[in-house]
Amino acid sequence: MKHLSRAEFVDLIESSAALSAARTLHVEQCAQCRERAEALRAVRSMARADEMPEPSPLFWDHFSARVAAELRNEPAPVAPGRWTPVPFATWAVAGAVIVLLVSTVVWRTTLHAPSPEAPARVSVPVDLAVSDPIVDDLDNDEAWAVVRAATADLVWEDAHDAGISAHPGAVENAALELNAAERIELERLLDEDMKRNGA
Amino acid sequence: MSTDRTLDRPWPGLRPRHWRVTVTRDRTNSAARPDARQLADDRALVEASLEGNREAFDVIVERHQRQIYQLCYRFAGNHEDASDLAQDVFIRAYRGLHSFKGQAAFSTWLYRIAVNVCLNRVGARAQKWTTLAAADQPDLREERADTKILRGERAAAVRAAIARLPKKQRAALILRVYHDLPHDEIAAIVGTSVGAVKANFFHALANLKKLLSTTS
Repeated sequence: MKHLSRAEFVDLIESSAALSAARTLHVEQCAQCRERAEALRAVRSMARADEMPEPSPLFWDHFSARVAAELRNEPAPVAPGRWTPVPFATWAVAGAVIVLLVSTVVWRTTLHAPSPEAPARVSVPVDLAVSDPIVDDLDNDEAWAVVRAATADLVWEDAHDAGISAHPGAVENAALELNAAERIELERLLDEDMKRNGA
Repeated sequence: MSTDRTLDRPWPGLRPRHWRVTVTRDRTNSAARPDARQLADDRALVEASLEGNREAFDVIVERHQRQIYQLCYRFAGNHEDASDLAQDVFIRAYRGLHSFKGQAAFSTWLYRIAVNVCLNRVGARAQKWTTLAAADQPDLREERADTKILRGERAAAVRAAIARLPKKQRAALILRVYHDLPHDEIAAIVGTSVGAVKANFFHALANLKKLLSTTS
């Protein structure tokens, strides 16, 4: 049978009645457990025999007075959940901090926020479905045919030498002026031109 | 010697207001278990203290100072440190009085603070065990001189051995042997299970035996 556990040893040395009948029977039959329990009991008795020296009878009054004096410097303990009056200054400081925080947040979101995207100067968004006919008609557009005919033989260098040149950024501005359908058409023309020139 | 003291006026803020609290100071049986009346009184005293009545806490100190001092002495090993530790325990208890929920006995709560204070403070420094001064010894005038010396030496050896035990074992042994606290209350004080307390107590006794046999 298993020897006594640590808790059972404690129960045994403190009160033999605390053990079950089976465990008590084991102790009766097991010399090792009996010997160990006896040794623990002896140590316990030796420790118990050490009486604490009694301080002077005057010590207790002196001690309680000392504690009371020390506690006079302590703020009174507060029952949990009780409303404690807070000085006006505390509320004022708390209010100022809140106002400062709110002001900072507002200032950061308005003045220091990144400026909104400059709206493209595309006047009216064009619905592609609507603009398709325009793209289709562009090849048949007489005005556009005139422009193409007039510029078919134009060499860029000659135009530049003749003083016909765009201002810096003019191309970008012109591109910005185009609507979606015009941009698509421009892209197509550039592609064709690049294919034609073998670029 | 036992003295009864009745506060002759009800404390303001105490509910019900007609309560009168009788304080019993029993200096002969320091490890006496608190009875139901004392438990109720302790709670009333705590409530009164929380209402701002400092006298109520003075009564708490008077009522528990002996047990707390004795516990601190067992950990510290000398009168000066024990009284300093005990004072610290009551100051901490006063500061944290609002956290006493009344689920355990007030003495259990106070013991818990005391054990924590002692383990933190005493563990961090070497103990100065008082030498066998005549004033510290029980009245041994009737004993033979050699018996007296032997007894003193044995007591010193036991104290020194206890001081060398690991913290939890030391706490379990002191609370069980010198304060007669039941294992479940010790478990509540040190924050472990009853099984763990018994195991610690077992190891404390076994280690004490080893240490004492080494010393002898």
